[in-house]
Amino acid sequence: MPVISSLSKAKPHTLRSRAVTGACRVASSASIASLGFRLGPWLSWRSVRRYPWLKVLLRVNELAARLTAGRAGFYQEAVALLLANVTASIVDSVQGALAMPQRTVLHEDLVPPEILRAMGLHPWMAEFLGMVLPMVDPHAVEGYIDEAENQGIPADSCSLPKATLGLTLCGQMPRPRAVVTSNMPCDGGMMQYVLLERELGVPVFRLDVPHDVSSDRAVHYFAGELMRLIRWLERHTSARMDWDRLRAICEERNRAIEAELDLWDLLRARPAPLAAEPVYLTHLMYTVAEPGTPRGTRMFRAMLQYALRNHEAGLGALAEERHRAVLWNPPPMVFIDLFNWAERAHGVAMVMDMLTFHHHPFVDTRTPRSMLEDLARIIMQGPMARHTRGPAENFFGDLFHIAERFSADMIWLAGHVGCKNTQALVGMLRERCRMRRIPLLIIDYDLLDPRAVSPADIQGQVDRFMETVMGESRADFHGTREG
Amino acid sequence: MTRLYAGCDVGSTTGKVVILDDHQVVATALIPSEVDPADTARLALDLAASYLPDPSAARSLARLVGTGYGRNEVPFADENISEITCHAVGAQACNPSVRTVIDVGGQDVKAIALNPDGTVLDFAMNDKCAAGTGRFFEAMARILRIDLDRLSELSAAAASVAPITSQCSVFAETEVVSLIARRTPPPDIAAGIQLAVARRVYALARRVGVQPAVAMTGGCAKNHGLVLALQPLLRQELVPLDMDPQLIGALGAAVLARRKGMGR
Repeated sequence: MPVISSLSKAKPHTLRSRAVTGACRVASSASIASLGFRLGPWLSWRSVRRYPWLKVLLRVNELAARLTAGRAGFYQEAVALLLANVTASIVDSVQGALAMPQRTVLHEDLVPPEILRAMGLHPWMAEFLGMVLPMVDPHAVEGYIDEAENQGIPADSCSLPKATLGLTLCGQMPRPRAVVTSNMPCDGGMMQYVLLERELGVPVFRLDVPHDVSSDRAVHYFAGELMRLIRWLERHTSARMDWDRLRAICEERNRAIEAELDLWDLLRARPAPLAAEPVYLTHLMYTVAEPGTPRGTRMFRAMLQYALRNHEAGLGALAEERHRAVLWNPPPMVFIDLFNWAERAHGVAMVMDMLTFHHHPFVDTRTPRSMLEDLARIIMQGPMARHTRGPAENFFGDLFHIAERFSADMIWLAGHVGCKNTQALVGMLRERCRMRRIPLLIIDYDLLDPRAVSPADIQGQVDRFMETVMGESRADFHGTREG
Repeated sequence: MTRLYAGCDVGSTTGKVVILDDHQVVATALIPSEVDPADTARLALDLAASYLPDPSAARSLARLVGTGYGRNEVPFADENISEITCHAVGAQACNPSVRTVIDVGGQDVKAIALNPDGTVLDFAMNDKCAAGTGRFFEAMARILRIDLDRLSELSAAAASVAPITSQCSVFAETEVVSLIARRTPPPDIAAGIQLAVARRVYALARRVGVQPAVAMTGGCAKNHGLVLALQPLLRQELVPLDMDPQLIGALGAAVLARRKGMGR
């Protein structure tokens, strides 16, 4: 991977950051090893044979090695600590799905897992493997995408539902007790659950999210939907809702969000004291996949502390922050190293992104009704939900708000070829960026399939944009007249 | 002593060099590309130097900028700059009113939106597919057994336009073969080829937004049939450039070399 020399003069490795990074690797290895102990020898052996993707997950330390490489100081420590904890969370999630199928509920990523956990069920996000596997190995889900296409899923549809379906069609999706989904975020996502229902042969519940996501009537209606979900789960599983447990989860979530909001305030500083994974991966893991856990709160607080230390020392996450970008659309799972590379190659700090920026973070825990209403707001006002339905203003309003709030000097749109919802808005986005004189980079790529656009091609697109639009001279060119 | 500045554009099909003094273009060269881009650059520079009153002056160029796909391989360049920037600067140096540049080269197509100061506002490019590039024309001319100049002339004589619907050059080839087999007049086939490429180029140009004035650069800009097919789609005439459109990238590189060499 090319690295521009003049920008790679990151802060020198301190003994401390080396020690922390090393300790985190050991902790990750221990988490992975613990999976075998927790499953026991028989189930471990059977699982590895039945679910080949486990072998990819066992290599999660490779991801940590890639994402900590080239970074330094507190930023490096933050990334290392985060990845060690993400590994532990992944291990917990996998262990639950393999060891407790009768308590496992497969759910779509826009269904609140807080409710499932409060009922003593194990949430297993259907899209989880599709997102995590390519982060470890970019080619990991190609076979599953092919399987879905071979069974008739259109080749131009989103690769995330294709990968999830492919896993299921290959018999490699652990069979849950039930499935909970919704009418979001897109047609491809909804269609996936029709086929999952057929393949898995388990009961499926669909949440109906109203189209107008901002009115009180919509909140009231969707809170009613969540109540209907709880009753349905009580009927179809042996679980019962424990409102006190839901309150504890929501309070834990609020504590985590409090730390996250403080972190966002610090990210507005120039240079940004943290960037990229400590921002978006912490959010994805601990407010979307695993919200309301003590581990999540610890992570947000740890990230906040790292940011504070850098900020107080007048240090940025990057050795030299030359540009600040906000990312629209999910990060490219197939080239998750993009931000680490761009930091060193072009001095770009990715300070905020669409998935991380969220509108209604706190849950009122006074009554069951207030909790359900705020969980309803979180889902309805969440990214993807707001942006793939309703007026285009939801999309543009959020985008330009975060660009301004975090002083971005450019917008990167991860132009996932499978996302028709976003593709439809690209023309309008170009016009609006021009009106505001904000440089826009549209990265053509596929979320999970590197055969569509390779990581090297993605780098090429960034290089061209940085050179021609941002006027960045390339520091890796050393031509000589005498040559 | 007059200071000289040069731009060297190493393309997939041709190598181009433009040499400037402080005021004007003093020499240009255009040669077919060699296998090794470094050889292409060297030969093109030697040829341009031979047109100078004192060819040895090329050995003491104040600054040389490399561009084009082989820009990293120009061994004597002081700097390399992307062809997108160079085409933008070159086109504006020829005509300051240009706001959109369409560069149709041998193996890629670019649409570039410019700011009034000549900097790049936005760009879109197709470097993955031969359709809409010089390679496409070469393939079609080969099937019709004519050269590229004749293809351009032939399309001007068409009574109607034979439809060529395939976006892909491989499939378009089979379509053209079918048209020949059906005894479609060659001028109509040529006009169909021009329109197919023009539509492809137009689709790309729309991605950056077509603002007047629009200039076309690259080797394919010399194809009059393509220009005639593209103008109705753009709903405007392409502005003429007072230089060989194939040399615009090298000109832009030379202008940038001069700007930096003169400290601007």
